[in-house]
Amino acid sequence: MTRRAITDALPLLIPAVPFALVLGVAITETVMPAGVAWSTNFFVFAGAAQLALVSLAATASWLTLVATAVVINLRHVMYSAAMAPRFADQPRWMRWVGPFFLIDQVFALMAARPELSGRDFRRTYLTTGVLFFSVWTTTVTAGVFIGGVIPTSWRLDVAPAIMFVGIVILGLANRANLGAAAVGALVCALALELPNNLGLLVGALAGVATGFLMDQTPIAPEVKS
Amino acid sequence: MTLFAALSAVLVVGVITYLARAGLILSLADRTLRPTLQRALRHVAPAVLSAMVVSLTAGGEGLDGFEAAEIAALMVGAGATLVSRKLPVGLVAGMLTLWLMLAVT
Repeated sequence: MTRRAITDALPLLIPAVPFALVLGVAITETVMPAGVAWSTNFFVFAGAAQLALVSLAATASWLTLVATAVVINLRHVMYSAAMAPRFADQPRWMRWVGPFFLIDQVFALMAARPELSGRDFRRTYLTTGVLFFSVWTTTVTAGVFIGGVIPTSWRLDVAPAIMFVGIVILGLANRANLGAAAVGALVCALALELPNNLGLLVGALAGVATGFLMDQTPIAPEVKS
Repeated sequence: MTLFAALSAVLVVGVITYLARAGLILSLADRTLRPTLQRALRHVAPAVLSAMVVSLTAGGEGLDGFEAAEIAALMVGAGATLVSRKLPVGLVAGMLTLWLMLAVT
């Protein structure tokens, strides 16, 4: 179970390395006290929001800084909603600890394993989350000292998108899922000009609404989450 | 930026980020989900992940951010995943396509 979790995570872990190195370099250049900037790994643990905090510190007001990072992280509310039923059979400590690790990659990898529940879910989720947290924090720290060592020409930044496409394809269970994915992508593309990556949120909401409207699958009237 | 301003910004963002991730897990895990909510939640993963693909591919540059090589890589990666039913196969096929396209263009 643990080995499978690590194997599944690797293709998403490797592309995160250059991003973490970039953040490490940004920490050395920010006007924010370096220790505080580095502590975002522990307090925030969300790459894009961390980079926004660190890089905008010189030019943005405190309020703008906080608002930007919060808006970037709004998609996590949707992850939380989608994952809630899967935490129903988890112990209380897991419900408090688990969400800290609910980053994009962990959500995607767990969405690709809908069959997991109980102890198997917990072991896989925590293995994946702790793995990403450890590698991320270590690599950001390395970036502070050694800077960017992976050439940008390798274009590893494209790898997560390819993986996410694959996860979507393997997870499509019906036409409503397909509609949700298609509309989510299309509306996001049309809303790309919105600030702070809000297009992502708008697209996602439009996709969920489409899937909901297309969904004809009968569901039990009362199901304990 | 003062130490207090920086630290308070990081802590506030940290708390809000945690609440965004934990809020619905903590509040819904012990409750009965309404059927309409269950129906909506089934589509969160495909909707969010597909929107994220578009957002990542555009790279913060709007519609101008799309490159032919990236789109080709995504299409080949998607096709390879569909056929093989294995994510690593799709990733390798997509990245090879990307590098090939970048080399010839």
